[in-house]
Amino acid sequence: MKRPRIVVGIKWVPNTQAVRFDPKTGTLIREGVPSIVNPHDLDAIELALKTREKYGGEIIVVTMAPPGAEEGLRHVIGMGVDRAILVSDRVFAGSDTLATSYTLAKTIERIGRVDLVFFGQETIDSSTAHIPAQVASWLDLPYIYYVESIEKLELKENKVVVKRKLEDRYEWYEVELPVVIGVAMHSNPPRPISLTNKLRAVTEKPIEVWTNKQLGLDPRCIGLRGSPTIVSKVTWQPEIPRKRKIYQGNPKEAVKWLIKHLEEEKVLP
Amino acid sequence: MSKKKEVNCEELCPEWECTQPSEYSGIWVVGEIDETEETISEPSLQMLTPANYIASKLGVEVEGLLLGYDKELLEKAAHEMIYHGANRVRILTSNKLKPYIAEVYARIISQIVDKYKPEVVFFPATMKGRELAPYVANTLRAGITADCTQFDVDEKTGDVLMIRPPFAAILLAYIKTPTRRPQIGTARPNVFPKPPRDASRKGEILWEDEKEYKIPRPRTRLVRVEYMKREEIPIEKAEYIVSGGRGVGTLEGFKMLEELAELLGGVVAGSRKAVDLGLIPHDKQVGQTGKAVKAKLYIAVGISGAAQHVVGIRECRVVVAINKDPDAPIFKHADYGIVGDWREIVTELIKALRERTKKAS
Ligand SMILES: Cc1cc2nc3c(=O)[nH]c(=O)nc-3n(C[C@H](O)[C@H](O)[C@H](O)COP(=O)(O)OP(=O)(O)OC[C@H]3O[C@@H](n4cnc5c(N)ncnc54)[C@H](O)[C@@H]3O)c2cc1C
Ligand SMILES: Nc1ncnc2c1ncn2[C@@H]1O[C@H](COP(=O)(O)O)[C@@H](O)[C@H]1O
Repeated sequence: MKRPRIVVGIKWVPNTQAVRFDPKTGTLIREGVPSIVNPHDLDAIELALKTREKYGGEIIVVTMAPPGAEEGLRHVIGMGVDRAILVSDRVFAGSDTLATSYTLAKTIERIGRVDLVFFGQETIDSSTAHIPAQVASWLDLPYIYYVESIEKLELKENKVVVKRKLEDRYEWYEVELPVVIGVAMHSNPPRPISLTNKLRAVTEKPIEVWTNKQLGLDPRCIGLRGSPTIVSKVTWQPEIPRKRKIYQGNPKEAVKWLIKHLEEEKVLP
Repeated sequence: MSKKKEVNCEELCPEWECTQPSEYSGIWVVGEIDETEETISEPSLQMLTPANYIASKLGVEVEGLLLGYDKELLEKAAHEMIYHGANRVRILTSNKLKPYIAEVYARIISQIVDKYKPEVVFFPATMKGRELAPYVANTLRAGITADCTQFDVDEKTGDVLMIRPPFAAILLAYIKTPTRRPQIGTARPNVFPKPPRDASRKGEILWEDEKEYKIPRPRTRLVRVEYMKREEIPIEKAEYIVSGGRGVGTLEGFKMLEELAELLGGVVAGSRKAVDLGLIPHDKQVGQTGKAVKAKLYIAVGISGAAQHVVGIRECRVVVAINKDPDAPIFKHADYGIVGDWREIVTELIKALRERTKKAS
């Protein structure tokens, strides 16, 4: 029987919670900030693992990142994925989402037969949610966002039924394979990593590193040159002016004070 | 404004069609039909605010684009866009556009944009818009910037500046696309106010001929829909919001906020910490990775006021903060702040509001 081949794209991101700001220089202090696997991508890994439990097959994780991302790949091998590919080369530096998605799409093409491509819904460092749609566009594949579960996978018929959640409704779609799927945030809380898997990550499963030697992409299409958008400057976010009136003291009096002001502002129902 | 230099086609990625920025002109807003409300969605109308601003700076006009299958509904939606500032609205209607499938819509939008060549295309970053816009951008090999909070024009070159908080919400990055057109940008709902409605405004409605476009065979089929029962208004539409953070701490604490919200005829929302703690669902999270809200009155209870949280309350009229730490940053983002234990203060506030309604009746 045919088994699904699943690719999951993950991003190695600075732990934005730990990033500090230097008010003197007006810059972000990134040194010493640890990186993590984008938390929303772990939902995608988890959905891939659940799919493999049910239908068998193989899970191949791909990330485009500097060499340090190996640590992130080991983490997901610890969760149980089968193969990990680190796409890493100086020439990819400075990619915006168009160039990133191009490089990822070409990587997926090189992997060969793939039935399902999973991504996280968005990243915590740039949160654009562009990559899944853009990869689908490069590969000319159908795509769908906000997916919570795979309801039915029929490889022989070449189709999958997925369930997704929008603001006010659940929707079920039948989609032709291969398909690119954006996995909904918080939809599939990741399992803990297992020590045996983690050990295997070091001994049995070397991380494959693909540079542009393997991919052979035109330098005009990747990195900075393949990125139409440029950051022209960075400034402080201006604050919205607020009245900043503060009351400190007895709660009853405080509430009286507040209601008086809210009545003046005419914002009470 | 000076004309941009010509793009050298030799230097361009061969997978991109070589076009010159000077061939493009005008600002477009892609409108979204709210199928449940049977009208144009609020966030689409909100995008007309930055569109009108950029158009006036560049001295060009604003055009809307609508796709769908219900002719009457689309025409009504087009009029709404005109009442809110569009000079003209293009409509493509076809039975093949039912139901909405992102890929199908995206491919047709790309064809229409490619035909008329607007220099800027805005999408509302609703759930649907976030799915649609990057596919359109990619098909056109255009630059796209998501979740902008401001837009402006680089006076020297005429490039649009797409301004968004990167990374940490304290900063703003100015992003531009000097060599590619159209320049595509999105903004989350409620980041911009809707322009005032003027039903006497006149504009043109242009019907596109479906035969001129290749409508792709859908590879995605909608098989079932189940609507969630919504007793409550979603937070992005609420006038009164009581928002709780980690300081509120427990589900039982959130029950109290519920009581306060009910008295105000409003809803409860929360910070990301509250979501992470399972005190409130993610669709009620306020902030950068949640929703922006535009309440008349926003009461932040036990919320520290992180930059990623307060970017979500910029459009609120009056902000009240209740926090036991007098140095909590939220007080800088509030109109009225009370320092103290939230439980005591909310208890008093509930009492006082009850008395107030009693007196009124
Ligand atoms: C990329 C990124 C995106 C993010 N997006 C969002 C987002 O969309 N929305 C969001 O909210 N956050 C977001 N965050 C997280 C944000 O940085 C903060 O961590 C979060 O907002 C803090 O939540 P909080 O204020 O509830 O908790 P805390 O920061 O822990 O604050 C709790 C507050 O409660 C007060 N308190 C405690 N006990 C009491 C009491 N008894 N009475 C009164 N006050 C009390 C404390 O003084 C404190 O100020 C994001 C972070 C990152 C890095
Ligand atoms: N450099 C990358 N390598 C692999 N996958 C990525 C990369 N960047 C983004 N992704 C995937 O695309 C999703 C959306 O990312 P973004 O468009 O940056 O918000 C992420 O959740 C990842 O699954």
